[in-house]
Amino acid sequence: MSSSENSRKESDRHNPKSSLISLISRPEIGPIGVMILLFGMLGYFSIPASETTWNPFAGEGFNALGIRNNLRVISQLGIIALGAGLLIIAGEFDLSIGSMIGFAGACMAMTLRWGFSIVLPYISFDGGTHLEFYTLLHIPNVTPTLAIFITLCFTLTFGWVQGFIIVRSGLPSFIVTLGGLFFLRGLTEVSLRSFNHRPDQAKGATTVTEIPDIKNIINLPGYGEMEREAAKYLPETDLISIVKNLPSDVIAKISERLEYTAQRVAEAKTDLLIAKGVKPLEKALENAIASDNEFMIKTIQEKIENFKIDPVIPKSITEVDIARAYIDTIGSARPIADFFGGNILETIFDWLYFPIDWNVNNFGNQFAPGLYSCVMIWVILSLVCYIVLSKTQVGNWIYSTGGNLSAAQANGVPTNKVKISLFMFSAFCATLFATCQVFEVNTSDAAKGNLKELEAIAAAVIGGIVMTGGFGTVLGIIVGAFIFGLAKEAFFYIPGIDGSFYRVFLGFVIIASALLNENIRKRIMGNI
Amino acid sequence: MTVPNSNPLIETKELVKKFGSFTALNGVSLKVYPGEVHALLGDNGAGKSTLIKALSGVHQPTSGKILVEGKETKFNSPRDASEVGIGTVYQDLALNSLTSVTRNFFLGRELKFGNGPFGILKMKKMHNIAIEEMAKIGIKIEDPEQPVGTMSGGQRQTLAIARAIYFGAKVLILDEPTSALGQKQQMEVLKTIKKVQQLGNIAIILITHNEIHARLIADRYTFISLGEVIGSGSSKDLEGDDIRRLMAGGAEVGDLAKELA
Ligand SMILES: Nc1ncnc2c1ncn2[C@@H]1O[C@H](COP(=O)(O)OP(=O)(O)OP(=O)(O)O)[C@@H](O)[C@H]1O
Ligand SMILES: [Mg+2]
Repeated sequence: MSSSENSRKESDRHNPKSSLISLISRPEIGPIGVMILLFGMLGYFSIPASETTWNPFAGEGFNALGIRNNLRVISQLGIIALGAGLLIIAGEFDLSIGSMIGFAGACMAMTLRWGFSIVLPYISFDGGTHLEFYTLLHIPNVTPTLAIFITLCFTLTFGWVQGFIIVRSGLPSFIVTLGGLFFLRGLTEVSLRSFNHRPDQAKGATTVTEIPDIKNIINLPGYGEMEREAAKYLPETDLISIVKNLPSDVIAKISERLEYTAQRVAEAKTDLLIAKGVKPLEKALENAIASDNEFMIKTIQEKIENFKIDPVIPKSITEVDIARAYIDTIGSARPIADFFGGNILETIFDWLYFPIDWNVNNFGNQFAPGLYSCVMIWVILSLVCYIVLSKTQVGNWIYSTGGNLSAAQANGVPTNKVKISLFMFSAFCATLFATCQVFEVNTSDAAKGNLKELEAIAAAVIGGIVMTGGFGTVLGIIVGAFIFGLAKEAFFYIPGIDGSFYRVFLGFVIIASALLNENIRKRIMGNI
Repeated sequence: MTVPNSNPLIETKELVKKFGSFTALNGVSLKVYPGEVHALLGDNGAGKSTLIKALSGVHQPTSGKILVEGKETKFNSPRDASEVGIGTVYQDLALNSLTSVTRNFFLGRELKFGNGPFGILKMKKMHNIAIEEMAKIGIKIEDPEQPVGTMSGGQRQTLAIARAIYFGAKVLILDEPTSALGQKQQMEVLKTIKKVQQLGNIAIILITHNEIHARLIADRYTFISLGEVIGSGSSKDLEGDDIRRLMAGGAEVGDLAKELA
């Protein structure tokens, strides 16, 4: 028998990885790769067929308007994916998110439109037995802040109830939140129909419309509060007198901008006219070349060279125009509504239009006024979630609640509180989604948010969240939302294929991600 | 039998635990002294786990007393027990394999800036403490960010023990800490226990089925069979044969070799 003393120490077995290796072995790297691929695809395929350029930002996918619209889809999904993802990390999941969006939107829209009351029903026997209502409290004009607050009271309570039932009964969250899905959707439809009907109708519509454009209510000096559009169409004499009262530097700035735009529009129109005039000639030239008619070729070529058109004269700027442009610059008198439903980064998009010459549509006008506010909400929420999950005590509690429930309990982690809070957080995210939507479009529909719960879960899984809990990062959830949103757009632009292929692609990505996540989890659990 | 000159850290008197009509413990008395490893030995189902669950607040005894440093104490929950300094390392160790060494070390008792659950973790400080505390009882961790799932069984035991001690355990209860480990790692854990013993102020209750392990580190033995104490004594008083016989519940196993032959 031979034996040799093993002189290796434990530390010899530890092979510090180079920073590049540890970067590419991060679990998010796969999803980030897919995201970059989709980013490239969307940029490439959205470039119109007639143009050749290597700049992915030249195409419709990533011009100013494309960015505005794509980021809205991505950030809306991103908001609810954060709620869904954190909950999955804690070992539970929520199928009621979509219905919660519909419910929250309807609740908010209804209180904004018809006010809020608390009523006490009782049975009355006057003139036959029927139900009467005693109004305890009625607020006819609900401010945006109050509407959000009232909605949150309902949605957070509902999130709490779902969480409470789940932790107390030990029932799977699947079944309890499936109940929530049907319950809330039904409740939304029922309440919309019953509040929404005219006196001559038995049943109403399941939509709320005719909410004023609250975020665009402004305080016009000398006129008080009114909607921006209404202000722009005040009698011209009023508009002119508004301009008279403006300081001259403000007027100068506005008219400079308007003149620039008018110049642009005129140039664009001229170009269009030239194109219109030259196109038939070019076609004729092609025919001439095809038929080898030397004379024709020559005359047409001459015609093209000498083609001239009088440039379109820029529209002159009147005081009414200045007044309307000025009204556009007045800040909202309802900052909360503007915070959720308005635009952000307007100065940057202005800058992209003036000096950078990029935020311009075919008619010379500015394409996009800014990004939707929901992008900012998503960024803020992501930041908060990132800090909470990876830097705070609660974060450690969330991971351990999902990773090993009994271990967490044995170490004194209040796992029930963690779970209930996350069910409430998921409801909070759904409410944020609805708030952004209601204040942006000023309507609400009982069907809003349909299937969003599954999209949120899918985004979380694509981003590396393991369905059994305990594993995943906020960065992953963000990337997952990007992949989901980009895929939808990218496939729309690929020529010659049905846009719905994005679903086929996502189905594939979801399963691949889940397999990958499980593999990483097993490796960490020491099973591989 | 030698009696140490200090007072017992933890003591049970006539502890009875019934599960319905089944008597799991039938009047168990034992004394555990600081700086000693007290081996709790006995056959499967003898009631060892039940006894330590009563000591760590998981079960409430049907009758009898538990005294900690001479004072009678009642535990309504594991929290109560850990507050008076009883640290239990269960067979499943109560670790979350998916997170790091440090996050497990401080699970539920994280160090943070500010109050409330949203306090920001003092990661650096916690890393240092975790490494330091594990080094004290003999295991050097290179990377405190390493997920616990990738650690060896012995390292995990050490983590759980170091954690219990750091958070003020005066009585350390170890339920079969070596049962799931390979030879080398078993020795590592025994060394760890030895280190804790040498700290001098901690009483250790060790459950094991391994006679060799018990003889290597135990200062005192209590043998349990069918819920009752059938023998006890210090390591000096007991012969190997006694230990083997009592571990099997008092039955004669001396002839086992003959039977098997
Ligand atoms: N919660 C319970 N309800 C009913 N009976 C129980 C309960 N817990 C333990 N018992 C019974 O009490 C007896 C002692 O169990 P215990 O787990 O204490 O044994 P042990 O000495 O730890 O055995 P092992 O060496 O196999 O771990 C067993 O017969 C067991 O079935
Ligand atoms: Mg046992």
